[in-house]
Amino acid sequence: MEPVVQFENINKSYGKHVAVDNLNLSIEAGKFVTLLGPSGCGKSTSLRMLGGFETPTSGRIMLSGKDVTRVPPNKRNVNIVFQDYALFPHMSVAKNIAFGLELKGFDNQRIHRRVSELLELVQLQDYANRLPAELSGGQRQRVALMRALAPDPDVLLLDEPLSALDAKLRQQMQIELKAIQEKTGKTFMFVTHDQEEALTMSDTIVVMNKGRIEQMGDPNTLYGRPGSVFVANFIGETNLLRSTVISSKGDVAALNWNGITITANPGGLDPRHGEHLYVVLRPEAIHCSAAEPVLGNRIKGKIRQRVFKGNHTSLMVEVAGGAMLNTLVHPSDVAQLSSEDIWLGWKPETTTVIPDRHAQN
Amino acid sequence: MRNMVSDAPRTTLTAFYWAFILYLLLPLTLMMAMSFKDANFVAFPIGDWTLDWYAKVMQDKQFLEACLYSIMIAAGSTLAATTLGTWIAMLIVADGIRGRTIIFALACLPAVVPGMISAISLRIFISTIDMPTGTMAIILGHTVHAVPFVVVMALTRLRSMPGNLVDAARDLGADGIVAFFRVTLPYLGPALFGGMIFCVLLSIDDFVRTFFLGGYRPTLPMLIFAKVQGGMSPEINAMATIVLVVTAAVGLYAEFITRRARTR
Amino acid sequence: MVNSNTLAGDAAGRGAPIPKYSTGIAQIVNSALYRHTLGAAVESRIGRILLLAGVPVIWLIMLHVGPIYQMLKISLLSHYPIQPGVESHFTLANYAIFFRESLYFTPLIKSFVFATAATAVTLVVVYPVAYYVAKIVKPEGRSKALLLLLVPFWAGELIRTFSVIMLLANRGAVNVLLREIGLIDRPIPMLYTSFSLGFGLVYLICLYMLLPLYSAIEKIPSQYLDAAADLGAGPFTRFRRIILPLSKDGIVSGCSLVFLTCIGVFATPMLLGGPNTVLFPETISGFFHGASDKWPVGAAFALIMLVTALITAGIFMRLVGGKKGSAF
Repeated sequence: MEPVVQFENINKSYGKHVAVDNLNLSIEAGKFVTLLGPSGCGKSTSLRMLGGFETPTSGRIMLSGKDVTRVPPNKRNVNIVFQDYALFPHMSVAKNIAFGLELKGFDNQRIHRRVSELLELVQLQDYANRLPAELSGGQRQRVALMRALAPDPDVLLLDEPLSALDAKLRQQMQIELKAIQEKTGKTFMFVTHDQEEALTMSDTIVVMNKGRIEQMGDPNTLYGRPGSVFVANFIGETNLLRSTVISSKGDVAALNWNGITITANPGGLDPRHGEHLYVVLRPEAIHCSAAEPVLGNRIKGKIRQRVFKGNHTSLMVEVAGGAMLNTLVHPSDVAQLSSEDIWLGWKPETTTVIPDRHAQN
Repeated sequence: MRNMVSDAPRTTLTAFYWAFILYLLLPLTLMMAMSFKDANFVAFPIGDWTLDWYAKVMQDKQFLEACLYSIMIAAGSTLAATTLGTWIAMLIVADGIRGRTIIFALACLPAVVPGMISAISLRIFISTIDMPTGTMAIILGHTVHAVPFVVVMALTRLRSMPGNLVDAARDLGADGIVAFFRVTLPYLGPALFGGMIFCVLLSIDDFVRTFFLGGYRPTLPMLIFAKVQGGMSPEINAMATIVLVVTAAVGLYAEFITRRARTR
Repeated sequence: MVNSNTLAGDAAGRGAPIPKYSTGIAQIVNSALYRHTLGAAVESRIGRILLLAGVPVIWLIMLHVGPIYQMLKISLLSHYPIQPGVESHFTLANYAIFFRESLYFTPLIKSFVFATAATAVTLVVVYPVAYYVAKIVKPEGRSKALLLLLVPFWAGELIRTFSVIMLLANRGAVNVLLREIGLIDRPIPMLYTSFSLGFGLVYLICLYMLLPLYSAIEKIPSQYLDAAADLGAGPFTRFRRIILPLSKDGIVSGCSLVFLTCIGVFATPMLLGGPNTVLFPETISGFFHGASDKWPVGAAFALIMLVTALITAGIFMRLVGGKKGSAF
């Protein structure tokens, strides 16, 4: 199937500053795709280029098989949900949603049917005549979403639309957004700097950094098998163990980390002796116990800090060589760990190995 | 306000404020009172009271014509100034415009040129383009005078406008013109309304430009000026009172409308 | 919201009227006429620039700069309007006339003296009022307190000037009152003097001072004053060290506005002044009535006045050192 959106060798620079650096990206129809990255990584610029508000310095953007690189925003079949919603303050909810429909040349009857249908989708039928100022944040969010969906765009672009909401509402809206995407079957292109949002909703996450794509994949892969230090750090909490290869054969590599020998799966890297690698060790993969574990990697450590976080407790454990490891313990297990001295253990297959790019050159 | 300002300055200032209000309102009150004097000459004390002067003014054809003429000129210049002022403001806030400061300075120029000089220069200007003195010239002069105020009011409002609104309209299929008329203009609405009322008052009030640009048909200020120079009579007071009450009511109404719009 | 007009909810049931969404704009935008004219124009970069900048730029150059430029041009001509048979040539003589005759020189000086004095008096009188409204009146009452001050503003220049006559005339309120209490036997001649003119000017322009001062003072956070009082500053020190410096912008723009307005006032001196108070605008006006061949001299004089007035205002802004900016 042909992708709905294709960025082909897209570059965008402002003077000397390069915002987007040779971006190549295809988006399949009906998918929830998230561009994730820190501010200034080029994700918003990419979105605005697709929306037509920025013109690429070079490259081509294809939308449903047509070149739209230089088509103005009002002539392309994409719609944006803006960060601060940008609802028209002088128009009622219904008129806001009807705006794009009228400009498409729909007659009154048809506009009305579509508006009612969309309002029903988000249960805002009773708010049709209200002004945006009379709505709550979540309701405004929904109206903005419906206004952008109304003209039936090929792709719906969402520019950090949840950032203005408080934490609880944000979680609720994440679920709702995903549900609406599934119900309507629309392609969503979502931009955020919040990794949790990305993990919750996306079919595909595109991690961007300094104008380039760092890694792209489904949430599971990105979390479980980050391809770079940046991705490992950006998505979820991580312990990064910079280690030296002692020996490597097939699926098993023996590594030296701070004078401790650990094993990991090099995942096809085939590293040589003496090479440096990063081992990505997620806090929840570490098992903390009072007694020495029998299998897998194991290290003795001292608890330096306990942070209670409600559904779990975070332990900062100092291990040999003075390094700190971040671990995660369930409330039921915390009681057993009364002593400061504990054992940390993990299975080699729960870790991922990333080459140390700098050391290789 | 629970600050530590002691009471003595506060009382003094309060008294000063009311004294100032008295200073502002006393002459106008006296002028209005005199319009009810039952005598042919303007002098205190008033003695007998009458409404005859109002009856006389309302039958004064010259006065009624001057009123209509002034309103016509005010309407024309307000319409032109609002359109031009908004247009200039849109240009000033537009993306990627070079020389923004120069455009703004030029837009404000008529506001810093003293009235008399502005009138003279306009008089010379219309003669160099062979425009006769009269209605068109007055409207042109009043428009030049009013444009800076509209520009400033529109700019203030435009700067408070979320930048995304126009983007959103464009995104939903509106071209630049549609976005302006459907989104920007309604957003400007209350500010422009206030500006328009201000332009009307400015035009009706203007004497010096009208004096130099006008023909033989007198506007309200010109009529009053001629009458005052011709000799005092309570009739002038009645005329002035009517004008004052009407303009104050319009001003108050505009104040009310813009204030309500601002709190929304 | 149950009892209000629940549009979409009703429409689910049959028979409810469909609200009107169309504004007719789609028909306009989709019409061939629009698409081939404006619609096509906004699509291109040049078209957009022309649509946006064309009219404003033409207007600004033609009517904001044009008149001043024409005035300058004519001030350098020997004759204007040009009569048949008379050759007009370039000359500086029109400017020279000003410096030669004290008849012309004195009114300009007087204009400046009156404008400066009126500005100073207005500043001193209006400042406490602005301070009172901005800082002493409670926030809820502020707009009412301001509104009361704005009422006379809606009466025009002429009506305000005229009302001053009621107060100061020989049989005006002040004289009649003074005679009633027996302080004077015959009226003090106040009208048509420097006093009445000054009084009238202040009355005319004091509100131009109020608004800039008010908005500047209102912006000063009250905590600053509390903090200063807390540190032992008395009312006078607080005023001199905090309020005055922080309201400098308002003082500068208020004074410039009042000064420039005052210089250009035309009707008030003619109604309230006497033979000794002929100001420069009246002098200039003389060149445009009757003897129309004196236009170049009038233009030159107007320019002299404009330049000196702007320079004075500029020097003032520099001296006080507020933000350089417009008179608003």
